[in-house]
Amino acid sequence: LRGPRTAVAIALLLTALAAAGCGLGPGSEVGDVDLTVTRDYGTVPMLHRQVDGVTESDTVMRALERSTDVSTRYGGGFVQSIDGLEAEEAVDRSLDWFFFVNGVESTVGAADYPLHGGESIWWDYRDWTAAMRVPAVVGAWPQPLLGGYEGKVHPVGVECMGGGAACAEVDERLEDAGVKLASRPPDGSIRVLVGPWSRVRTDPAASQIERGPQTSGVFADFRPSAGAYRLVGLDEGGDEAVELGPDAGLVAATRRFEDPPVWVVTGGTEAAVRAAAQLLNTASLRDHYAVVADGKRETALPVR
Amino acid sequence: MRSPFAYTPRSRPLQLASPSAAVVYLGALVAVAFLYSNPIVLLGVGVAVVLAGRAAGAWSAVRAALWMGLTLALLIVVVNALVVSRGTTVWARLGDWPIFGQVDITAEAVAAGAVLGLRAAVVMVAFAVYSACVDPDRVLRALRPLAGRSALTATLVSRLVPVAAADASRLRDAARLRGPGAAPVGKAPLARRLLAGSLDRAVDVAATLELRGYSLRQEHQRPSAGATRSGPERPEKRFTSAKRRSRYDCRFYATGAIVLAVAIAGKALGADSFSEYPTTEIGSAATTLAVAAVVALSGLAPLRRVPRRAIARPPRTASTSTPAGWIS
Repeated sequence: LRGPRTAVAIALLLTALAAAGCGLGPGSEVGDVDLTVTRDYGTVPMLHRQVDGVTESDTVMRALERSTDVSTRYGGGFVQSIDGLEAEEAVDRSLDWFFFVNGVESTVGAADYPLHGGESIWWDYRDWTAAMRVPAVVGAWPQPLLGGYEGKVHPVGVECMGGGAACAEVDERLEDAGVKLASRPPDGSIRVLVGPWSRVRTDPAASQIERGPQTSGVFADFRPSAGAYRLVGLDEGGDEAVELGPDAGLVAATRRFEDPPVWVVTGGTEAAVRAAAQLLNTASLRDHYAVVADGKRETALPVR
Repeated sequence: MRSPFAYTPRSRPLQLASPSAAVVYLGALVAVAFLYSNPIVLLGVGVAVVLAGRAAGAWSAVRAALWMGLTLALLIVVVNALVVSRGTTVWARLGDWPIFGQVDITAEAVAAGAVLGLRAAVVMVAFAVYSACVDPDRVLRALRPLAGRSALTATLVSRLVPVAAADASRLRDAARLRGPGAAPVGKAPLARRLLAGSLDRAVDVAATLELRGYSLRQEHQRPSAGATRSGPERPEKRFTSAKRRSRYDCRFYATGAIVLAVAIAGKALGADSFSEYPTTEIGSAATTLAVAAVVALSGLAPLRRVPRRAIARPPRTASTSTPAGWIS
């Protein structure tokens, strides 16, 4: 009698383990991921490669360790150095390694971030004195608009806030990138706000930009000037570095609490919003935290 | 039953050597075990301590320590494999656990646990050899000038713990002898009785020590103070045997020094090449193998050398109370 009962108990246990995601070996392959390693807010590229054969058990840390020389601390949860470039802390500056998956800063360590295939992982070594947290960046374009973040695909909605022709251009560029736009985006959607700053600033998530990079992670500011707003580029320390004027457009991403990221395509004037909309392409956004354009040239933020 | 780790006097070099020489020799091996993470060197230390124990006639202590050490090593491997999910070679996925999060069993975590376990086992065997081969009384005598009160406390503990164990054994025997119909005796009443007996004995010991003048301050402790000959007034007479040197001392001092020097030099030359994560890499360069070989061979130091002439001559009869290896 004991034999059949034991067999049933073992079968139930194995079924429970299998249901809980247990199994032998690394698990089946889920696809490839894109790995980018840069320093100084993406200005100095160090590594860019596709990591093939990502399995169910792979994490951001394993993908990194398989691709380059990594040293860790705190029991392997935090990266201390990549390719010999070590985190350092001095009186006036603190440099560390940060990572984004699909352009969204992770709230968990790299060793605890599971991969599902198709992600864009970006490790950046930067001075975080001015902004310890940069919740979202545009450098993984078209992610997270295309593939979502934290393992889930989110609907994407474009909110036209007086953007005029720029809204149509944004729609077109997103659709060209393969993003399916929701006509009535539900709660939990990734929003793209298009319009002059005077309108966009009414959104609670976008208004964080006015509170500085330590809140929004965006190294730009809008200053009121003669009934309009002029765009100011900030440096790594969060100080004013360059005045870009009212015709400069900004493409940036931010995030309020644990809400989905919000992209802003904005500027002081309608012309500036149009200039910003034209930045929605891989060449302009790749490996940048945020980008500004004044019609003549494009500048990555923070200004260096 | 006698513990396998209890000191047993034998006329072997390690037992005959002075405590400091034995401590230097075994301490050097333990130091190498803590200094190195390379499993080849750790295995060398393991071979050395096992050989040393065998040569010193402490095989039962070595065997018991190996059993305990390997059990502990297995536990460390299991815990490390469950707690640490680092490493790129995943053997099994155990899903999400409440405290640990995603638990993956990786080859690297198992290997890292095995190295930690090996170190623990090696150190346990070394201490087992020390415990079985080095006379604790001589160690305490050697320490007495440095820390008299601590030495006295340690002496009392080393005496009274076995006495308490014997008391417990006797109490259990007495409980069993009441016959099969008697109510079983729980552990708590047994422990209470044992504690009461130990406290009674402690009071007796304290009174005896006071009578012998141990409570007097240093300036009152004079030879003519009425203390007995075995009292604390003439330590230089009582503990002269601790100052005796053994003809084996040089051997153990030299072996310990060589082991340490080779280990430090090897460390400086990169002989401790070992990386657990993300992939296990064990260095097996010539320097690593050389350090491991030297350390392993040091385990032969306690071997008793049989002089050639002893084969021809009949054994000398004991004519003195001084052990054979001592120089008076």
